[in-house]
Amino acid sequence: MSHHHDGHEHHHHEVEPVEGSWQDPADDRPVAVARRRFLAGLGVAVGGAALAGTGAGEAAATPVASNRWGTPQRWYAGDHHIHTQYSGDGQYPVAAQVAKARANGLDWMVITDHGGVAHQKFSIDQVTPDIEKARKGNRDVLVYQGLEWNIPGAEHATVFLPPDRHTVDILRAFEGAYDGGVLSTSVENGGKGLIARSTSADGEPYALAALRYLEAQVLSGRTEIALMFANHPARRGVDSPHELRGWRDAAPGVAVGMEGAPGHQASGIPKSAGGRGGARGYYDSSPGVDSHPGYAPTATENPYRTYGGFDWMTAKVGGLWDSMLAEGRPWWVTSTSDVHQVFGDTLTPGTQDYEKTGSRGAPVDSGVEQTGFGDFFPGHYSRTVVGARSKSYVDVMRGLQSGKVIAVHGRLIDGLDLRVRALGEGDNRGVTIGGRTFVERGGSVEVTIEVTGAGGPNFAGVVPKLAKLDLVAGPVTGPAVDRDTLSAPGTTVVKSFEVTKNRARFTHVFRDVATAFYLRVRGTDGNRLTADGGPVMDVVGDADPWADLWFYANPVFVDVI
Amino acid sequence: MRWVRLVPDFTSVGAHFDRQVLSALDDAGVAADLVLTHVERTGSVAVTVVSARITGGLAPGTEIEEPARGRCVRFPGWAVLTGTHPVAEIVAATAIDEVVGIGAAVAPGTLVATAGYVRPEYRDGRLVLLVEPAAGGVFQPSEVEQPHECCAGTH
Repeated sequence: MSHHHDGHEHHHHEVEPVEGSWQDPADDRPVAVARRRFLAGLGVAVGGAALAGTGAGEAAATPVASNRWGTPQRWYAGDHHIHTQYSGDGQYPVAAQVAKARANGLDWMVITDHGGVAHQKFSIDQVTPDIEKARKGNRDVLVYQGLEWNIPGAEHATVFLPPDRHTVDILRAFEGAYDGGVLSTSVENGGKGLIARSTSADGEPYALAALRYLEAQVLSGRTEIALMFANHPARRGVDSPHELRGWRDAAPGVAVGMEGAPGHQASGIPKSAGGRGGARGYYDSSPGVDSHPGYAPTATENPYRTYGGFDWMTAKVGGLWDSMLAEGRPWWVTSTSDVHQVFGDTLTPGTQDYEKTGSRGAPVDSGVEQTGFGDFFPGHYSRTVVGARSKSYVDVMRGLQSGKVIAVHGRLIDGLDLRVRALGEGDNRGVTIGGRTFVERGGSVEVTIEVTGAGGPNFAGVVPKLAKLDLVAGPVTGPAVDRDTLSAPGTTVVKSFEVTKNRARFTHVFRDVATAFYLRVRGTDGNRLTADGGPVMDVVGDADPWADLWFYANPVFVDVI
Repeated sequence: MRWVRLVPDFTSVGAHFDRQVLSALDDAGVAADLVLTHVERTGSVAVTVVSARITGGLAPGTEIEEPARGRCVRFPGWAVLTGTHPVAEIVAATAIDEVVGIGAAVAPGTLVATAGYVRPEYRDGRLVLLVEPAAGGVFQPSEVEQPHECCAGTH
């Protein structure tokens, strides 16, 4: 545990293979994601600074790029979307999910059972002690209490708070007043009967009020921080562009992003391979009554499908995510498990009446490997990697809030050090993922990408090979007049880098920068690419998630002064 | 040909909604060769409305001009499409004018696994069926009968 405590013992032999790898012998867990240094170069500087306050001098010996000036920070892998037996369609005890997350190397996790009448009435009181017990038994995993909120008028969202005196009170009040399931359920059935459907547009004002309520809890000091991430945003087309923008504007400190990749990544495994043969992410829908009319399948695209496992809003260059970034609007992407029922598991849901008790009860072991289940356990396939000052509940949330976040599938990479800085007049120190930097008008901006491939096998037993990086960039053009804008025509892949080594460094310089812009990086194993190098629409019934791996890093904004 | 507009009093969605609409028409003794659904977003809560091209029987609802667009639930030749069919057969044997592949072109010989559920788009008098690559080297319609519903579709 000494590694965990300080991390500076190793900084003298940072180029040895074990450093920065997932297999650190000093770690007591099977896969040590937590304490490995996700940014290997950065880790060196951190160690130096922590040791003697002479970080720059220590780091000068390293041959790789590093942020010698940045706030000390390390990278923590987690998952903000996990169901338990306290969801009507879930089955696992909290303790089992925490044990899996820990075994799979996660540092933090959020328990997010579905909101609704039964959950609000019965589940909260059961999940709370379970979570507290799990925290005590697994002190190296941060276990957040959260909720999968039915956003009134829209899809689902993760909502969570750090553990504190008022956490449960806030969550309970929030769910009772603002969950779309509660609001759309009739009074005689225990709900409020205030909106037609959980996804109908008459719920939209409640969503904004809900987010303002959470922000008010932060401002009044009842909680230090509260966060919301929109889950599986394009799955049913019910998160319209103006709703996404509205949430962010209503509570910019709370509504900070969305799942760039949904969970349920095993659901596209073909039947011939013993899988469910469904759609990756359970993305097999088509426009419905509450879908945004701008999300229309055409000859060129289907917004209701995943692309390389990622949601269409994120995967499409110049698409909806980029349209928000092009406004200069911080909006971050993540990747989660959304685990309900795990592919190949023998356990099946308990038999308890969920609507009456708020729990499915203990799962039942069928003794037979279930082929119809579409999920992976936390950390098995999807990771949201967060840069934070410390492994504490509030700091990890601050990292998420500030966009120091990378969404990674199937251990495609073990490290990414992105550095964006002005050459000449401007911010020469620069920033990394989620940051904002500046350059003098007409100046140059240097982007350095140092990437470390997988240092070992993923949970499919394969060492993935990163083949290509895309540097995506576009101008920041200010707030869109049309709040339903869903494209950013100026955003393109400005450069692709072929990756041939496990550890590689790439540089690109934006010259004669005249306007504010943003940039972001994504990478792929290159197994499935369109003619222009983008992700391919996943085939329903034939999408092996391990054969099509991507990561997406969050953007850096560059202002011009 | 007369087109009529119907506003069902039920609020279910997708295939279930379609079945209710079709059986309501049957119950009323109405023959319609084209039945379309449309989403109307004029109020704060969107509603699904139906327009039908009446070929026989007493038509319920209000008479309307031919609609420009819609999602087609019933069309001439629909009953032919029960399983896997080549694109050429779909175009020849039904009122569908065109089969369009999403992100991948289809040829006359391309097989489309319909599973007996086909919902083409009605666009300015033409019926266009969107299909996409599916398992086993065939294509399938982009709208399937039973998409995954989380929490058993309660929300």
